[in-house]
Amino acid sequence: MSVILGYVATILVTFFTYNIFTLGLNIQFGYAGILNFTVITFMAMGAYFYAVFVMPPANASNQVFYILGLHWPWPLASIAGVVASGALGYLIGLIALKRLRSDYLAIVTLATGTLLYGLSGDNNKLFDGWAGLFAVNQPFQSVANNNPNTFSWIFVVISGLVMLAVWWFANQLYSSPLGRSMRAIREDQDVVDAFGKNTFKVRMLAMVIGSTIVGIGGVLTIQYIGALSPAGWTTGETFVVWAALLVGGRGNNIGAMLGSLLVAVVFNEGTRYIPQVASNPNLVPDLRNIIIGSLVILSIWFRPQGVLPEKKAKFFELPLKDKYAQTFGGSKADQDLVVEV
Amino acid sequence: MKLFLLTLGFGFVSASIYALLSVGLSLQFGVTNFVNFAYGAYLGVGMLLTYTFSATFGLPFWLSMVLATIGTGLVSMFISEYVLGPFVKRKKSLFYMLIVTFGLSLILDNILQIFYGVGFNEYPIGQSTPITIGPFSFTGNQLLIIAIAGVVMIGVHLLLSRSRLGKAMRAMSDNSDLARASGIDTNMVTRWTWFISGSLAGLGGIVLALNIVSFQTTSGDALLFVIFAAVILGGIGQTYGAMLGALIIGLVTEVSTVFISSAYKQDIAFLVLVIMLLVRPQGLIPAKGKA
Repeated sequence: MSVILGYVATILVTFFTYNIFTLGLNIQFGYAGILNFTVITFMAMGAYFYAVFVMPPANASNQVFYILGLHWPWPLASIAGVVASGALGYLIGLIALKRLRSDYLAIVTLATGTLLYGLSGDNNKLFDGWAGLFAVNQPFQSVANNNPNTFSWIFVVISGLVMLAVWWFANQLYSSPLGRSMRAIREDQDVVDAFGKNTFKVRMLAMVIGSTIVGIGGVLTIQYIGALSPAGWTTGETFVVWAALLVGGRGNNIGAMLGSLLVAVVFNEGTRYIPQVASNPNLVPDLRNIIIGSLVILSIWFRPQGVLPEKKAKFFELPLKDKYAQTFGGSKADQDLVVEV
Repeated sequence: MKLFLLTLGFGFVSASIYALLSVGLSLQFGVTNFVNFAYGAYLGVGMLLTYTFSATFGLPFWLSMVLATIGTGLVSMFISEYVLGPFVKRKKSLFYMLIVTFGLSLILDNILQIFYGVGFNEYPIGQSTPITIGPFSFTGNQLLIIAIAGVVMIGVHLLLSRSRLGKAMRAMSDNSDLARASGIDTNMVTRWTWFISGSLAGLGGIVLALNIVSFQTTSGDALLFVIFAAVILGGIGQTYGAMLGALIIGLVTEVSTVFISSAYKQDIAFLVLVIMLLVRPQGLIPAKGKA
């Protein structure tokens, strides 16, 4: 029984954290049309920086090396991790968000991801190389008296609350003037420019807010698992988030939630227990990646708006007076006139 | 100074590899006007097909190279025809094209991994002893790489300047609607462009494998951002710019090993990319309306 309870808890935490990643990507891609091809790098930055802020200084005698090791209390370290992830988003934005085609931003995100992946793996002084960081301090471990199930369920509640907060924030942002500017830029940046909006600033905000949210998910991930190595944030993971958003429905937060449920939980967990093929141990994970990649392509082909499409914006227009209606060939202005944005 | 000249020599080898790869990427970008994020996987197709032909089937190495180069071109043409083409015909926005090629890279990489695994492979050819030419020192394979790149660059130049196909490609690169209106069979040109782009990617992958000796399926992807750096440095969509960009990136990355650990030499390419995007995003030889 306790095994099942622990498993259910892990699935719930996975769902909540992937939901946070997808919401972060939704703000970048779904709201503002920013192509972030290295979502998972922001998760890793959040996680790694939380770890090096919360852990004691590296002990050379263990052959484990990492930067900082400040031994801060976990709430402060969590903030440090989230800030680090947002800062990376800001830096990428500085390089690529100015007056360039979206190809360039996509290239810079991908290049940054490849670079940081190689650096954190090859340089074992940063985050302990390919071995990665482990035995990272987990909050509430003492409250749970080191009982794994109690800890897991405390964490289900915490990550659930954080996810709800992020979800609420993402919805507030969507309907705020800033969110409307983001969506307008996604549709046509030149028009928004012409209306005098600072499109660079709005896109930068989308980039930083999205990266920060993915960073929050990263901090939660490492707090729950207590370890992270480069093998845990390969490009394949970025695709899981992309597939979740595209399948669920870009621009729609409930769609993002449904997508992470379908892809990150149902598909990923459902295929986890397919037995390995002895002659080709990588066959099952490879096929999984192929399916995830196909899911991305097929969803664009068959249903680019996703299972739950974004709601079309509706604006009430004041009914026109009859004398104006006369001038337009006598046709009456419709009170429920819906304008697509 | 001696070390500097020696690394300069290696710089020419790297520049030759990058030139093949960045010209292939740039030609295709010019004609189709979207970046192919699956390009890194095409490198893997070329290097691993050569491995199959030479190590598994026991064909002579030069023949394996030729077959694999053509094979990668055909794979590229096939993908363009049956995967990317339909999306282009539906006039999907640039966003979606990029996501599709990005998704394609994951699919191709994992197909390769099913067949070749994640381990390292080596070609069944001996490593020749270094030959000293003046201050430089090359292995026989490295001289071969430089020779191949030289011949191919001249070939690409002749193709673009002398042949009908090359002129049609340049016309499409300038304005594809206008090209179609003036009677150019744009579908055929696109098909050939993908074939040439894929062949260059495959050949580039093979010479990359010759240079780094042991390679794995993802070796190409790790190099993708270096190719992007060379292409953007030269001016995206500009073939001669890509050659220039490749030369600069090749020399800079190799010479940097005099000052920093060679493990980080490709990160220098990223630095060049960043500086370029901040200072002159249109590239050294800008193309109209592409930046």
